[in-house]
Amino acid sequence: MTLHQVSRVLFLAGILLARATLAPESSVASQGEPEGLARKSTNFERLSQAANVARNENHDDEAVRLYQQALKLQPGWQEGIWYLSTLLYQQEKFADSRDLLRRFVATEPQAGPGWALLGMSEYQTREYSRALDHLQRAMSLGMGGRKDLSQSVFYLVAVLLIRVERYDDSMNLLIPMLKSSDHPDLLVEPLGLAALHLPLLPLEIRPDRQEMIRLAGQCALAVESQQQAEAEKLFSGMVGAYPDQPGVHFLYGAFLMDVRPEDGTREMKRELEISPSHLGARLRLAEEYVNEQRLEQALQLAEEAVRLESGSPLAHMILGEVLVAKGDLAKGINELERAQKQTPARVRIHWDLLRAYINAGRTADAKREKDDIEKLGSTEARP
Amino acid sequence: MYISSMPAVLQILLIFLALNQASSPTEQTTFKDIAKRADTARSADHLNEAIALYSEGVRLRPSWPDGWWSLGSLLYEQDQFAEAQVAFARFVKLQPDAGPAYAFLALCEYETRNDDRSLLHFQAWAKHGSPGTDALLDVAGYHWALLLTRQGQFTQALYLLAAKAKKLGATPLLTEAMGLASLRMASLPEEYPSAKRELVWLAGKAAIYSARDDFPRSEEYAARLALLYGSEPDVNYLMGTLLGFQGKFPEAGEQYKKELRISSQHVPAMIELALVQIQLSQPAEAAPWAEQAVTLDPKNARAHFALGKALLDSDHIPESAHELEAAKQLAPESAPVRSALASAYRKLGRMQEAKHESEIFLSLNGKGESLAPPLEETPEPRQPEQPR
Repeated sequence: MTLHQVSRVLFLAGILLARATLAPESSVASQGEPEGLARKSTNFERLSQAANVARNENHDDEAVRLYQQALKLQPGWQEGIWYLSTLLYQQEKFADSRDLLRRFVATEPQAGPGWALLGMSEYQTREYSRALDHLQRAMSLGMGGRKDLSQSVFYLVAVLLIRVERYDDSMNLLIPMLKSSDHPDLLVEPLGLAALHLPLLPLEIRPDRQEMIRLAGQCALAVESQQQAEAEKLFSGMVGAYPDQPGVHFLYGAFLMDVRPEDGTREMKRELEISPSHLGARLRLAEEYVNEQRLEQALQLAEEAVRLESGSPLAHMILGEVLVAKGDLAKGINELERAQKQTPARVRIHWDLLRAYINAGRTADAKREKDDIEKLGSTEARP
Repeated sequence: MYISSMPAVLQILLIFLALNQASSPTEQTTFKDIAKRADTARSADHLNEAIALYSEGVRLRPSWPDGWWSLGSLLYEQDQFAEAQVAFARFVKLQPDAGPAYAFLALCEYETRNDDRSLLHFQAWAKHGSPGTDALLDVAGYHWALLLTRQGQFTQALYLLAAKAKKLGATPLLTEAMGLASLRMASLPEEYPSAKRELVWLAGKAAIYSARDDFPRSEEYAARLALLYGSEPDVNYLMGTLLGFQGKFPEAGEQYKKELRISSQHVPAMIELALVQIQLSQPAEAAPWAEQAVTLDPKNARAHFALGKALLDSDHIPESAHELEAAKQLAPESAPVRSALASAYRKLGRMQEAKHESEIFLSLNGKGESLAPPLEETPEPRQPEQPR
């Protein structure tokens, strides 16, 4: 079974569960209607009941036909819209299920599973931008404890974040998923893609690129599972096999920075020779230079990083740290505040600002930062 | 104003008919009440209620433009494009001068895959001066470019996308769109083969950074593109174009030749190679490529232009004028064609015609840029020393 097939099984498991349990309360035609309406309502009741029976007995084609007929009589029948869309999704009629689900969520905007199935339909019709929006909405609304559906949604959000080049955000989802997933192998390719900064979906990987991407994913997996020796072996194998590919030396370098910084520095420099605009390599190197008190070199790299990606909060954070280390508190604080504006939840910036405000004698500001750190209470915190 | 210019009898007849068709006082009260409630619901963000009320309002009074507009906007917000399309279509019938509505109508038609109508309405929007908010300009310009790409009008698509790239940066959506247009793939983003995703992305990055004058980064992605996909059709053509933007004409020429070794019938590569050779003062080398392009694609204005220029620079003036006249027929709004034609006429001693062409050249060249993409494909090749 290929990874893609596995992921489809996962989606369908989610759908089957949703199909069985989600539907809103059935609407019943009101009493005392005029004769025409009453007949219509009787027809509707007959059709809707027959549709539900056909669905329960897995006569899907029959159920689809009956739901469609019933919805002609009562276009606002939410239960019918939901079941019909799940059936159409299962029959891989994704554009049809998408159109129905748009109607469904317009009336039930708080239905997380509705947004989930809509996003999954849009994923299948390759409307990736919309799919990401709607799946994230499903995540924030919740999926009513449906684990399979929830796993499918998280997986899709993670791979779609990679496709829109939000690699760090994707990693932040993928890493916790590793611990809870029933299919960790499914996550190797997304991990590899995020690690190498390649904005592809797993199904968009060409066969001749697969090995390198999987290797990068296995490296990331080994690091996350604290298998240092295994990670080192995998990394050096990857660098040996793909010495000229962008991103490879950065990954190895990032690993080495924590183990043997001098080797990490060498790898980062090699990455910058291959990918001169690599932001991450520049920032990690600048960080290391701050540790080594090579502040002029750190400053040059951090300034280059900000020039390359003026919207990157990380670049502003590192530049701020370098400036503060050099004693230029005013400019450093300015950069840190800018970074904080973009990512207010990043605890490291609060710590940076706390120290900088104390050094600058701005006690009230320092107090505010201290309070924020306590509020955030993150494990990222450092003294 | 329209009625007052009609004969009196006709005016009376129209007034009579109008009075007979007017709604009863009860209906009017109902309509007024519904319109008010619809606006209130909309203001309170009760969108479904507002949609129901506006629908009822336009049913009671189909000539209510504000109702159609509000209904269309609300349905559009809910991604209910087929229904929104109907509302916007009714609106533009009632208010044909309301420019932004054409953009919304075109966007709905894009979503419902009525591509030809969508293109027509994007053009109608441009004719009205492309009005709307910044967000509408971005969304509509982007989708228009996607459709142009799908129709094979790559230069026009890139014209729109490059403007967006300058403003918005290398966003993922623009990158993909620029990749498709740059590689001359007549597909929408959701249509092209999945296996080509990395190719499209790398091409898009190279093109988008070039459009933003960030040549080092453009070259970095172009190098990756060449390394991985250098034998794919259109890749070397794109590389040549990117090098041409930087005024690196000899290198650009080499890339076009590489493309022609891969795709021997690649008309745009022939044309660009010829134009590059003209830039390098090699008109004799340029002429056979341009001639081949004209043979393969006789309706291509840029091919005739390239041949006309090559002949002009190698002193085959009557033949040059003939080709440039053909180019003018195909692309009457092209300033470079007019300029070259003016030179040809001057050299032939046809001073009156030369003066006429020069005047048209000046008028075309002086036109400010609008959102509407160019109607022809003959931008003047950039000189190395020219600032971008």
